[in-house]
Amino acid sequence: MNLVFSLAAAVLFGAGAYLLLKRDLVRVVVGASLISQSAILTLLASALTRGRAPIHPLPDAPVSDPVVQSLALTALVIGLAVTALLLVVVDRVSHAYHTITQDDVAASEAAREEALERVGADAEALTE
Amino acid sequence: MTALALALVVPWAAGAVLVALDGRGRIVCWLCVGTLATEIGALVALAVQVLPGRAVHSVTGGWPADVGIVLRADSLGVAFALVSAVMLLAAVVQSIVEGVQERTFPGLVVLLATGLNGLFLTGDMFNFYVFFEIAMTAAYVLTTYGGGRRELGAALVFAAVNLLGSSVFLLAIAGVYRVTATLAMETIALRMADVEPNAAILIAVGFFIAFGVKLGLFPFHFWLPTVYTGARPAVAAILSGALANIGAYGLIRFGAGLLPNELALGATALILIGCASIVYGGVLAVSRRDPAETLAYSAIGQVGYVLVALGVGGPVGLAAAVLYALVNSLNKTMLFLAVGVRGPLISAVFALGALSVAGMPPAVGFLGKLALVHTGIVAGSPALVALLVAGSALSFVYMFQMYQREFWRTPPADHPSRWPLQLLPAMLAVLVLAAGLWPEPLLALSRDAAALLSRGGR
Repeated sequence: MNLVFSLAAAVLFGAGAYLLLKRDLVRVVVGASLISQSAILTLLASALTRGRAPIHPLPDAPVSDPVVQSLALTALVIGLAVTALLLVVVDRVSHAYHTITQDDVAASEAAREEALERVGADAEALTE
Repeated sequence: MTALALALVVPWAAGAVLVALDGRGRIVCWLCVGTLATEIGALVALAVQVLPGRAVHSVTGGWPADVGIVLRADSLGVAFALVSAVMLLAAVVQSIVEGVQERTFPGLVVLLATGLNGLFLTGDMFNFYVFFEIAMTAAYVLTTYGGGRRELGAALVFAAVNLLGSSVFLLAIAGVYRVTATLAMETIALRMADVEPNAAILIAVGFFIAFGVKLGLFPFHFWLPTVYTGARPAVAAILSGALANIGAYGLIRFGAGLLPNELALGATALILIGCASIVYGGVLAVSRRDPAETLAYSAIGQVGYVLVALGVGGPVGLAAAVLYALVNSLNKTMLFLAVGVRGPLISAVFALGALSVAGMPPAVGFLGKLALVHTGIVAGSPALVALLVAGSALSFVYMFQMYQREFWRTPPADHPSRWPLQLLPAMLAVLVLAAGLWPEPLLALSRDAAALLSRGGR
């Protein structure tokens, strides 16, 4: 069982990392959320115990570990919220830059930096 | 106990309400300031309780300790919480004086304060993660403050990279739960000693990467200059003065507190990475023209010192790491708040900031550098001391280059900003000066924190 979980987590992480390196910003978001899913899967796999449901009053038989389930739930909710937020940011970026690829965002950032350098150099030439 | 509850509940409740109100109104702004001030009051009360080396414990909901979530305040956590809260207050007041542009801004800062307080004052590892995400999510939204193209681009980079860091942190938590079957930090510290070394090292590397990304250490620094220059100065002050404390605190608490054996094992690597950070940050800061960009690279360099001190370890090294992290957060907040402002007071602030970053008396930065050099001498490494001095020289060069460009070349009476805008950075400068002239409280806090960690976090 551990092997299945670790393989699944590894595949998710790998797919997420691949998407994270893509140019399309929506894919970047999907990649980030896949990686967080892989972390949640690992969290679940960190305490795989077989047993009865841990409902009070506790049975005499061994119970399964409820802690990781609650951790996974919390992490899922957080992951959902952050993914939604990230999508909103991508939406606003696409409106502001009229593009959803990273290259264009980076290119306009580079153009701004170049302009800044030029202004700095001009100011220096002026004062000297 | 009451102070601990107040420090958490007050900003939480107030933040949830404030974020729904229109923050551009005066009343909401001053409510936000009032909340942060109350929180600082509670943290000061807490600091008085924990300073003689005690820890305040509380289990939520009155559950037994293994079932409920443990809240725990000790000198390390309280020191970081207090400094972060003061920096947040300064950044908020500065933005209010400037005029708040977005309705959620004050509420989000209060929620960020909640997250920071929660993670500095918790004894439970998963609780740490939850509060960490509260703080990070508030910070993602804050980075978009202003709503221009650059702010949005910065927020995108910031959120994507730090989400990856958070996932790595979650993976490391899963690892810890797997090998110790507990989430309470005190129990983890006890059980970690018997864990198989391979697993423990993997976990330690996971935590290091997660906090290295937050802090912007050298190999994980790539996002930092874009974000710090793209965001508004007040937001950059919040990110570098308050949020980056998560990284420093996390490295100190998880490294020295929970995984001391692995920290000792990786000491050389940490010192090397720290040195690389110092040199890289310093050299690139010298080459930049834009003050915000210089400060961003300077931030990369400055956190290298914390890592070096942590790598050397021992009571002296840990005290230096805590002290330097706090001093750095003070310096960076003061300088980032002063970035967009001009005038005679600001020029004085920058001069003092230059002295403080370079580590000259009478600014508080001197204490930090003194503690670091002491660490180098205790480690018995002349190379380390030489590197610290060279790093300080680099900081001095870039800080005075910036001072020269911004305040000597441009005529002083060009566009002086309004006095209220100049006043707040000046007040922080007074704090920097006061802490440099009367260093006992800061030194006592950092020594106490280091002693606490050397005792195994109890």
